[in-house]
Amino acid sequence: MTTFIDLCIGTLIQGMIYALLAYGIFITYKILDFPDLTVDGSFPLGAAVTAILINKGINPFLTLPIAMVFGAIAGLCTGLIHVRLKVRDLLAGIITMTALFSINLQIAGSNMNIINKDNIFDLIPMGSLSISYRKLIITVTLTILIKIALDLYFKTKNGLLLRGVGDNANLVTTLAIDNGKIKIRGLIISNALVALAGCMVCQESQSYSSTMGTGQMVFGLTAVIIGITIFKHFSFIKGTTAAVCGSIIYKLCIQFAMQMGLEANLLKILTAALLLVILVFGTFGKKKRGALNA
Amino acid sequence: MKKIISLTIALILTLTMAVSFAGCNKNSVPVIGIAQYGEHASLDNCREGFLQGLKDAGLVEGKDYSIDYQNAGFDDSISIQIAQSFAAKNVALMCGIATPSATTCFAAAEDKNIPVVFSAITDPVLANLDSGNVTGTSDKLPISAQLELIRNMQPDAKVIGIIYTTSEQNSVSAIAEYQSVAGNYGFTIEALGITAQSEVTQAVDTMISKGVDCLSNLTDNTVVGVLAGILEKTNQAGIPVYGSEIEQVKLGCVAAAGIDYYQLGIQTGAIAAKILKGEAKASEIPYETISEYGIYINTPSANNLGITVTSDIAAKAVEQG
Amino acid sequence: MLELQHIKKIFNPGEITQMSLFEDFSLTVSDNEFLSIVGSNGSGKTSILNIICGSIPIESGGVYIGGKDITNLPEHKRYRRIGRVYQNPAQGTCPNLTVLENMSLADNKGKSFNLTSGINRKRTEFYRMELSQLGLGLEDKMDLKVGSLSGGQRQAMALLMTTLTPIDFLILDEHTAALDPKTAEIIMNLTNKIVIEKHITTMMVTHNLRYAVDYGNRIVMMHKGGIVLDKSGDKKKDLTIQELLGLFNQISIECGN
Repeated sequence: MTTFIDLCIGTLIQGMIYALLAYGIFITYKILDFPDLTVDGSFPLGAAVTAILINKGINPFLTLPIAMVFGAIAGLCTGLIHVRLKVRDLLAGIITMTALFSINLQIAGSNMNIINKDNIFDLIPMGSLSISYRKLIITVTLTILIKIALDLYFKTKNGLLLRGVGDNANLVTTLAIDNGKIKIRGLIISNALVALAGCMVCQESQSYSSTMGTGQMVFGLTAVIIGITIFKHFSFIKGTTAAVCGSIIYKLCIQFAMQMGLEANLLKILTAALLLVILVFGTFGKKKRGALNA
Repeated sequence: MKKIISLTIALILTLTMAVSFAGCNKNSVPVIGIAQYGEHASLDNCREGFLQGLKDAGLVEGKDYSIDYQNAGFDDSISIQIAQSFAAKNVALMCGIATPSATTCFAAAEDKNIPVVFSAITDPVLANLDSGNVTGTSDKLPISAQLELIRNMQPDAKVIGIIYTTSEQNSVSAIAEYQSVAGNYGFTIEALGITAQSEVTQAVDTMISKGVDCLSNLTDNTVVGVLAGILEKTNQAGIPVYGSEIEQVKLGCVAAAGIDYYQLGIQTGAIAAKILKGEAKASEIPYETISEYGIYINTPSANNLGITVTSDIAAKAVEQG
Repeated sequence: MLELQHIKKIFNPGEITQMSLFEDFSLTVSDNEFLSIVGSNGSGKTSILNIICGSIPIESGGVYIGGKDITNLPEHKRYRRIGRVYQNPAQGTCPNLTVLENMSLADNKGKSFNLTSGINRKRTEFYRMELSQLGLGLEDKMDLKVGSLSGGQRQAMALLMTTLTPIDFLILDEHTAALDPKTAEIIMNLTNKIVIEKHITTMMVTHNLRYAVDYGNRIVMMHKGGIVLDKSGDKKKDLTIQELLGLFNQISIECGN
């Protein structure tokens, strides 16, 4: 029975940490309608920065905001390339992601671990609680705090504008706002969150690898789509909640597949099958049409 | 209607998941969780050796231990989940094959103090796996032996070309060591870094144009993965390639002074057996490097490139051609 | 006051499809004028609007509002005192935001989009009043997503949103063309009402000659990048649809429409 609980806790922890990544992709893909591949680079960027700073003795708590700043800069680059240099959204993200590959190698090499150093899970005092429960409480708290912050933000004028740009960029122009500036803002927020996810993954698994970003865009997209599709009929569920649930469900599916003995090589095809099933049942894949019901 | 179908499917899936999670570890035989980073000839050999090593130490599968083998498919997030599920299942011992898997295993095992035995890690000190409830075997390349072998087989050679992946830490350290000792054998090293498999053939072209006398391989997964393509070009250009372990020589490299990963695995299995039997704790066992390296020759390949295998080498070597 | 001075516009310069639209086009719109622009296809009606708003570049010439040169001003800066309603009702509102959110967004034009609440509770009653004047039942649908409204309702909202904040110039780009006759009538009446009440200088491009005659105080007919008819005030009042139609057919036959 404890195995069951432990497995659930472990999966939940992963789901919560990767929910931060899902938030980021939710912002760019769902709200801004911008397929942002930068995340494959900004995710390991957050982890690289965390690993090198912790190894140099910097307080692990500081790595969280620092990783977010680095992620924000990555998002800014993609934004500038797209808006000022007029490169298409997908390509702009690819350019930044490719550049980040080299940059990450420069920051922390190909692998780095922080095994003998303290991380935030060691430093937060929680009495005699075992490490799994500590990690659970910390990650859940962080994810929920960020969710609340995002929900509040989207209720503000600034947040409403961001939602407007994704929905009808032209309208924002007629409101005398430079919609490029708003897109850049969205990319900055999104990639800051993705880098934060990378930071947390590094702290939790105590290691960083330069290839850990591969496929994270696909993960995030799948998580967001799972969440949105499942909760489509419950309109009171916010998009951020859907992102968290999608992340947890996806991690659960992977764990389930591993329990069933599915070979790791086949896990990617499982992801593809999962995505297809969700899309077919959710009709999310149909193109967004401005409904003109006469 | 669709809603009902999807809800039903979701319900069935959730129930099945719950059952599968709960149904694990019904048996009381200690479980050894093997986390292998990916499928790869050397790593596979290592795992098979590990299983043999356990048997050689007198343990009986099914009675003294059972195996839970998981392969991460070279994916870091899956590697993390594998390690965590091992910890959740309270396995008696974790075996991490290759650095990323060993690291995640150690991180997950720390809290429950589950012993971790690693294999196929080139530099355990660099990986911070030399202290704590962890031990294992290192596959550090016998570089001096390789240089000596090359000198014996090609007395007039001057430049050795090495292609390596810049993002593999093991390769980067190996290059550094090559460069520091090559001079002792009268060689200079021409090292060329790449980032992906697709760049390898062009790197070979560059090496050939620079006039290297031979190529030497590291245990670099990316490069070794395209070995057949490399050999095709080098054979055409008349340049011998020296491998780093048996499989590569079998494929067509002229020779290698290298590690037998199967033997490495057996050594690892022996260590694991000691821990399972309670003879020692992982924290008390220092990690071992492979003491014996083997010399493997592919005589037909060597002859095709105009290299005669002298009798004393042939005597020491194991034929693989 | 709006002035277009000596505009030269060439489409696809340097390519096979190069087409010169305006050689030396000038137009002045005085304050409080309600100008209708009609003309054959390709005459340049919509291009005039796009040039004023800055969506398309010009080879030479200048655009001036209130004496200020806005020729080199980027598109979004020009919209500070300009409002625009498009032909496609989907272009004037955000489909995934609610009616209330759309109104709040439009209401904030010209002000700071800061971190205060997106929806101003105090203004909600005001929006409700404005929407009820449309007579389309939107005041009861404030929390509905705009994407589920009909084309006519969305266009009415677009019109309202554009004029919610004070603007000097309203541009209507065939804004009734995609609506059924009844809804088009409602929107036209609404347009007239808003323009007169709020004293907005307006420029309307339309295919509907009757609207051009019945509404506004000036009419301009374009053909191949030039003005063939320009009547305002009393002279416009005397103009009948017959005369207009006659001239229109003449130029249409000329360019083979």
